Amino acid sequence: MIESVLITVVQMIVALLASPFIVGLIRKVKAHLQCRQGPGWLQPYYDLAKLFRKDVVVSTHTSWIFTATPYILFSSTLTAVLLVPIFLSKVPLNFAGDIITVVYLLALGTFFLMLAGLDAGSAFGGMGSSREAIVASLTEPAMILSIFAVGLTAGSTNLSTIVHKTALLQGIVTDPPPHLMALAALFIVTLAETGRVPVDNPATHLELTMIHEAMILEYSGRYLALIEWASALKLLLFLTLISNVFAPWGIATERTPVWMAFGVAVWLVKVSGLAVLIGLIESMFAKLRLFRVTDFLGLAFILSLLAIIFFYILRG
Amino acid sequence: MASALIILIAAPLVSGLLSLAVRTRPVMERLQMGHAAVLWAAMAAVVAGVAAGDDVSFGSLLHADALSAFMDLMLAFVGGTALVYAVGYMGEKLSRGPVEFPRYRRFFVYFDLFLFAMVFAVNLDNIALMWIAVEGSTISAALSVGFDRTKAALEAGWKYIILNFVGITLALFGTVLVYYASEHVLGVSMEALKWSVLARAAGSLNPVVLKMAFVFVMIGYGTKAGVAPMHTWLPDAHAEAPTPISAVLSGLMLNLGLYAVLRLKTIVDPAVGPEFAGSIMVGLGLLSMTIAATFLLIQRDYKRLFAYSSIEHVGIVLVGFGVGGAAGVFGGLFHMINHALAKSTAFYAAGRVLLRYGHKNIDGVTGLLRQMPLVGGAMLLAALALAGMPPFGLFISEILIATGAYDKRPWVAYAFLLLLVVAFAALVYQVFRMVLGEPKETGVPMTPGGGRFTDFALAANLVAMGYIGIHMPGFLRALFIPMTRVFHVLGEIP
Amino acid sequence: MVIHPDLGSQLVNLCSALLLLTCFAIIAQRRLSACVDLFALQSVFLAVTAALVAFLTGAHHIYIAAALTVVIKVIILPRILKAVIERLNVKRELVLNINIPSSLLICGALVILAFYITQPIISLGFLLTQDSLAIALSIVLIGFFIMIARKKAVTQVIGFLVIENGLFLGATAAAYGMPLIVELGVFFDILVAGLIIGVYTHRLQDTFDSVDTSKLTGLKE
Repeated sequence: MIESVLITVVQMIVALLASPFIVGLIRKVKAHLQCRQGPGWLQPYYDLAKLFRKDVVVSTHTSWIFTATPYILFSSTLTAVLLVPIFLSKVPLNFAGDIITVVYLLALGTFFLMLAGLDAGSAFGGMGSSREAIVASLTEPAMILSIFAVGLTAGSTNLSTIVHKTALLQGIVTDPPPHLMALAALFIVTLAETGRVPVDNPATHLELTMIHEAMILEYSGRYLALIEWASALKLLLFLTLISNVFAPWGIATERTPVWMAFGVAVWLVKVSGLAVLIGLIESMFAKLRLFRVTDFLGLAFILSLLAIIFFYILRG
Repeated sequence: MASALIILIAAPLVSGLLSLAVRTRPVMERLQMGHAAVLWAAMAAVVAGVAAGDDVSFGSLLHADALSAFMDLMLAFVGGTALVYAVGYMGEKLSRGPVEFPRYRRFFVYFDLFLFAMVFAVNLDNIALMWIAVEGSTISAALSVGFDRTKAALEAGWKYIILNFVGITLALFGTVLVYYASEHVLGVSMEALKWSVLARAAGSLNPVVLKMAFVFVMIGYGTKAGVAPMHTWLPDAHAEAPTPISAVLSGLMLNLGLYAVLRLKTIVDPAVGPEFAGSIMVGLGLLSMTIAATFLLIQRDYKRLFAYSSIEHVGIVLVGFGVGGAAGVFGGLFHMINHALAKSTAFYAAGRVLLRYGHKNIDGVTGLLRQMPLVGGAMLLAALALAGMPPFGLFISEILIATGAYDKRPWVAYAFLLLLVVAFAALVYQVFRMVLGEPKETGVPMTPGGGRFTDFALAANLVAMGYIGIHMPGFLRALFIPMTRVFHVLGEIP
Repeated sequence: MVIHPDLGSQLVNLCSALLLLTCFAIIAQRRLSACVDLFALQSVFLAVTAALVAFLTGAHHIYIAAALTVVIKVIILPRILKAVIERLNVKRELVLNINIPSSLLICGALVILAFYITQPIISLGFLLTQDSLAIALSIVLIGFFIMIARKKAVTQVIGFLVIENGLFLGATAAAYGMPLIVELGVFFDILVAGLIIGVYTHRLQDTFDSVDTSKLTGLKE
């Protein structure tokens, strides 16, 4: 019991500490590719610390939703992170919910963020919220389906069971054609959900294109810090899903400290690798026009759907 | 005999390569005439050899059995007359000016390579190498179809390329499947691709794989043969290609596509029973005939008219082989060779008309019999033959196929005869409009230089067509006898 | 080095799945030059698959086929296509007959169809890998679809080449490769076919001032 609590706390701390690092890593990769030196490794941490110290400005037109949203967003995202195996294949909290719970926790945060975007009554906030609604409605089914594709092989929708079973299997991948499609779908979902290029650009505040930044335009101080941190956590969560669901090698399958420490190291390497990949993509590709985003997300949906159908046709 | 086979295959290649070096028109004319003569002589030797009862083979690659020899006969004879015709036709174009000498030369290079690929394909004893040769013929014909460089010719060429390249690729997929089936029985080697080995092992091959293979090959080579619904390239390509090419496309290349399908059918039938391939072929054959008959009625362009008639005849041949039996198979074979002769004659005549008037409009052409008696007469006879009038061979083969169909599936025979009647009426009506009556336009008469060659080609084809129609020659009968083995047909040649 | 046979066939399976994935990427792509790049990438995967099969089965002639794939399909043909695109100045977006989401759905259906058709053969169990033949057929069908659904001449060429890739995958993964002389012949034919199509595209451009094949509508009844 105490062991379980301890592991959960460690997982929380690891995730909280690692998430700004991943954001910083992507920025660093982009800076290098643009032949810049870029800010230091600790800059995202400094940013958070600074924001937490700053005063908050809240528009008089807003309701309680505006002030509650950062807390709801942060806590729901953090809860979702705790349900996902990071360095141990069977997370202690796995009884609390499966992949559907994770998706709903994330959707809850997104929902409140959209409300908050509308709440302040500014034009940009509303625009961002409506765009986010389009993106979210297209990505969520794709996300669920793509993890289901793997879950079908493992025979469960519980993330811990999926990861645990897959980690114990021999060979590189359990079932390449459907899983590869699901992986591609989940990667596209990741780019969309975390507001990266080519769906959104986290580095600009250009009103015609922004989605995520438009919604949080009114926030400042510790509210902004919480939202930024929650976004970083969400990014980390998706990268963890990709690496641990599709390639769970090196994850600890038993609760021994050494193995878990090894698990943390391997996980860090994997998510860092994915972060570098995202940095590369952001440098190589341009943002899509908003009307083309649906095509891109449609691709993810079709791929994940195919992955599921494959399973039924081929192995059913 | 093996040397004759080598000469038959090498002649077009050598002639094509030599053409590259030719600098004047008379030299080219002599070269191509010589080429035609060598083709005929070598073909006669090969056919005589096979008719005497021995298959001709060279090494492990080349092997001419009765079916190959039959194709050789057709390819070399019509190929030869087409060469003679092309000498006249292109010479006329050269002297009138629309084609300058380098392009005149290039035409013969393409043409010879096209012939080479086709002759090579039918004598190869290897399913995959045959595919390569057939693809080679597709490629060389692609260059010829767009030869005129008009907008219409380019469009026709593009359609031809896209459809045929896709088709031929599907045929390769079918070929891979055949190999996949055979390597499990015969081992991973060249042996597993040889027609002769496949034919012996056919019964033990996996039927499911062969069924799939046949479907792909039927669609693939069927595209090349102009089978509906993959026929859409055919009327455009036949109408826009230079006329000697149209004649060869229609008379020979379609038959090459059919040959490839038939070869595979001889492998597939023992493994899965004749019903499977047969019903597909009957279905596609009747569809082709229906589409062709419809479009024959509304045609305004005489080259397209004959092109649609080719689709109809490919359909007839398919129905023949599809219903099978001695009547169906020999009807189909006899139909192939007669159609090759009649259709090339029709195109030769159409080419002369095109040279005279410079347009392809049926409405603008009347009184051919008065203005150009030989051309008009040839076109009339060819059209009557194509429509299935006695005494021509196509009448006999159509009757054979109809009786064969009646024995197996009466409704096929009814549909077949109905479509024949429609196509007959359409074709005869359209050709009568052109041939009879008073000439409207004077046009540009042929120069004697060009006229001589084309007249000869027309006459040679007409004589051959009449000869085998009135009385089936002994060598043809001798070729048909061993084909009972190739097609697993029991019974006498009707 | 010895690879466990299971792992080997999984690797082959993975590579062929990557080929299929690039097909979807080509379908979802609107920029012409990116399509050419994706085709080159697909050919790289094809070469890797062939090399893997050669290694696993000991059929060394497939190495030659893999090398030829790299030379012809990864280097030469993409360069020719890029040159055509450059010269014809058709860098703009593709002209689509069918929009991207429906294209994707149709391709998904095609993949399912391919798996359905090949199911009886897969269950025979002769294959090196379970899915390669089905994937090969899917790629052939998708290539077909690209040719139908995209109007530019260059995209039709890409569709044709994708079909070829699918075929080659079928030949190597399902039938352990054809004999060498056959492979060489097939490669030669593809190269020539590619060149001829290139020549035709140039002529189309010269005559029609466009490579949009929807302008080829002169010939009809």
